[in-house]
Amino acid sequence: MSGKLSFKRDWTAAEADQWSKEDFAAAALGVLAFVAVAFGTPYAFLLRPAGFALFFGGVGLGALMLWIIGPKLNAVSADYEKKQKRYLEDLEKIMRWEELDG
Amino acid sequence: MNQTVEYLALQDWIWLVAFVALMVGTGVAFYRLAVRSEEDFFLAGRKLPWWLPAVSVYATHTATDTPIFVTGIVFLYGVSGVWYLIFPIWVAVSAFTSTRIFRRSLAYTIAEWQNLRFSGIRAEMLRGWFAGWQFFMSMFVLGWVGAAMGKVSAILFGWPPWIGIVGFATLCAVYVLAAGYWGVVVADFQQGVIAFILIVLVSVWAILAAGGPAAIADKIDRMNSTYSWEVPEVSEPARDCLLRVEGTAEEKQGLAATMDGVFSIEPESAKRGAAPTREQVYESGGGLRILFPRPGDALRGGDEVKVIWTQVDGAEDLKLSLSRDGGGTWEVIGDRLRNGQSWRLDPFAFSGWFQGDFPLAWFFTMLMMAIIGGIGVGTNSDWFVEAQRMQSADTLKGATLAMLGGGISVVFRNGIWVAAILGLFTLTPHVASVSQVETSWYTAGFRYLPAGAVGLFVAAIIAIHLSTVSTRLNLGAMYATRDLYHHYIKPRATERELVWAGRISTLVLLLGSFIYGMMITEITEWLIFAMWIMFAGVWLPNVLQVVWWRFNAWGYLSAWVSSLVFSWLVVWVLPEFGVLPVLPNHAQFWILLGLGAAVFVPFTLLTKAEDMDHLIRFYVMTRPIGWWGPVKREAQRRGLISDELRSEP
Repeated sequence: MSGKLSFKRDWTAAEADQWSKEDFAAAALGVLAFVAVAFGTPYAFLLRPAGFALFFGGVGLGALMLWIIGPKLNAVSADYEKKQKRYLEDLEKIMRWEELDG
Repeated sequence: MNQTVEYLALQDWIWLVAFVALMVGTGVAFYRLAVRSEEDFFLAGRKLPWWLPAVSVYATHTATDTPIFVTGIVFLYGVSGVWYLIFPIWVAVSAFTSTRIFRRSLAYTIAEWQNLRFSGIRAEMLRGWFAGWQFFMSMFVLGWVGAAMGKVSAILFGWPPWIGIVGFATLCAVYVLAAGYWGVVVADFQQGVIAFILIVLVSVWAILAAGGPAAIADKIDRMNSTYSWEVPEVSEPARDCLLRVEGTAEEKQGLAATMDGVFSIEPESAKRGAAPTREQVYESGGGLRILFPRPGDALRGGDEVKVIWTQVDGAEDLKLSLSRDGGGTWEVIGDRLRNGQSWRLDPFAFSGWFQGDFPLAWFFTMLMMAIIGGIGVGTNSDWFVEAQRMQSADTLKGATLAMLGGGISVVFRNGIWVAAILGLFTLTPHVASVSQVETSWYTAGFRYLPAGAVGLFVAAIIAIHLSTVSTRLNLGAMYATRDLYHHYIKPRATERELVWAGRISTLVLLLGSFIYGMMITEITEWLIFAMWIMFAGVWLPNVLQVVWWRFNAWGYLSAWVSSLVFSWLVVWVLPEFGVLPVLPNHAQFWILLGLGAAVFVPFTLLTKAEDMDHLIRFYVMTRPIGWWGPVKREAQRRGLISDELRSEP
């Protein structure tokens, strides 16, 4: 893909922490995919051609959603797992009413 | 002799007992993992691959009353009822926004989240409130589903309801007490898989029993027009009643038909009146005419019946009127009625913008609640269950996939049910009261499945009940243990003590749920009202806490308190005194939202923002979406987050 519709494929940890059009595109496609499957399934079980079109359209939208968000999700997830241990320690300090560092 | 017990052959009982033993046994087998720590007992050590919490989401949201609910929706609204079931789309938004934010907070519960998002004594008040509320809600849900299982057990086995309420929940408690959340998700996996397979099987059987996919659509297209009418109560018999149907045909030509002869309405004390037949719904020809009631019929006041009249090409804007004096005077008993039943296959069969039983105003309100609500935290009752599954996933990516996987499975399952129930509708289109057909999907399973498979079907029914019970037992216990005992009573408790606190909380929930289950009919109305407060009055604050840095704990607390007051006024008190009419759901929602905003916005702006150090810590950890500019800039100034993006072209 190119131009304004292009979606970023390589992410640094800092970049992945920012909200971007990939997140919004994934959410929008997710909603459309859910609606398509919700209506496609009953129509497909009634063997209506529109049902199959909707259902597989929904599956396609879901695949596109994962393709768009996948690289960013991998980056943001991997970076966060590195920091998780310290955050968990902070959480336990809050439980014990202790002051947090920094 | 109970009818269902007759359906169960020896091989059914073998399947049934074997499957229940497997569920409980494998749940208990994870005992050693669960006793290691509080984190294990409630979050499975945050080590689950995404598909386990995904199946758990699916299993938990498939309860014994779900097919009953879906049946009611499809019988009333046809395929357009899917919009009523589309609420899981909040998950599609949440997976890429609030799930990521909440998972990064690492909070066990939404009560704990309050301590991270807000600061000081206000945050503690919110945490305590949420913990108590959710413990109570879990007990209520357990009582609710327990009561439903009591009824189902009476049908299934002929047992008195209390055995269904106490027996299955106790069985479930064995593995929840032993293995905590480990037991819950492992059992959920088996329960989810067996329930899914049986739902597909029974639904396919139901579709075939209705004549097959093509026949279902054809039958619906051929059906006559119907209107579910509650016959007015009379003290004396009314012998000269007539019905008239009017409307417009193609090119706006007038259309009208009146019954050929009179029928009567008898007092409620009379014997059951005449009822329509299935054949009348399919009877064709002869232009516009009323097929039920027929001249000479006697209907009983208070009964719900289906008035049937012939389907006419191009007819619309139909209106049904009743005369009690042989045609002298008329009263409208239904207007804006639909022609035939083909509309049941139309996904956009709404009843108008604001009128009728399914107006567009309610449709748009539900969509907005789901889509915008997906950005917030705690915007619906499912959020509290999902929050635990998000935190139990091994990675942030896993939490996202778990939500997506669980949500889409629920949507797919609903779709299968809709098709099957449409098929079952063609078998009983003359039945007026939904309560008479709400268990038709269950009945189809018992009637059409072969011997052996019926046992599995009963096992699946038990499975979907146990998955809901186990989830709620562990979830409620988590709020009591993590947020009340651990945080407020014994902050330095050992892991062993915390696991035991979890078990004792589970036991208290279980016993409390038995009491709720026995008295649920008396308190249901009040509790549904309590749930309504939760979602109407604080829906917007639940979104604002995520998207607006300036929203503070005072604003949130004022929203909760004002919501309690306004809900009473708008839903109950003012309509009772005639100050307000009884409003439709969408109107109630918008009024409560507006009134709440008139309180919490000034409260927020007239009180101090949360402590900046606290907000920065929260921001750096969770990276919330929306209006967080001042916090982000301060975090960058302190070098806590990278500002490298600002130098990019």
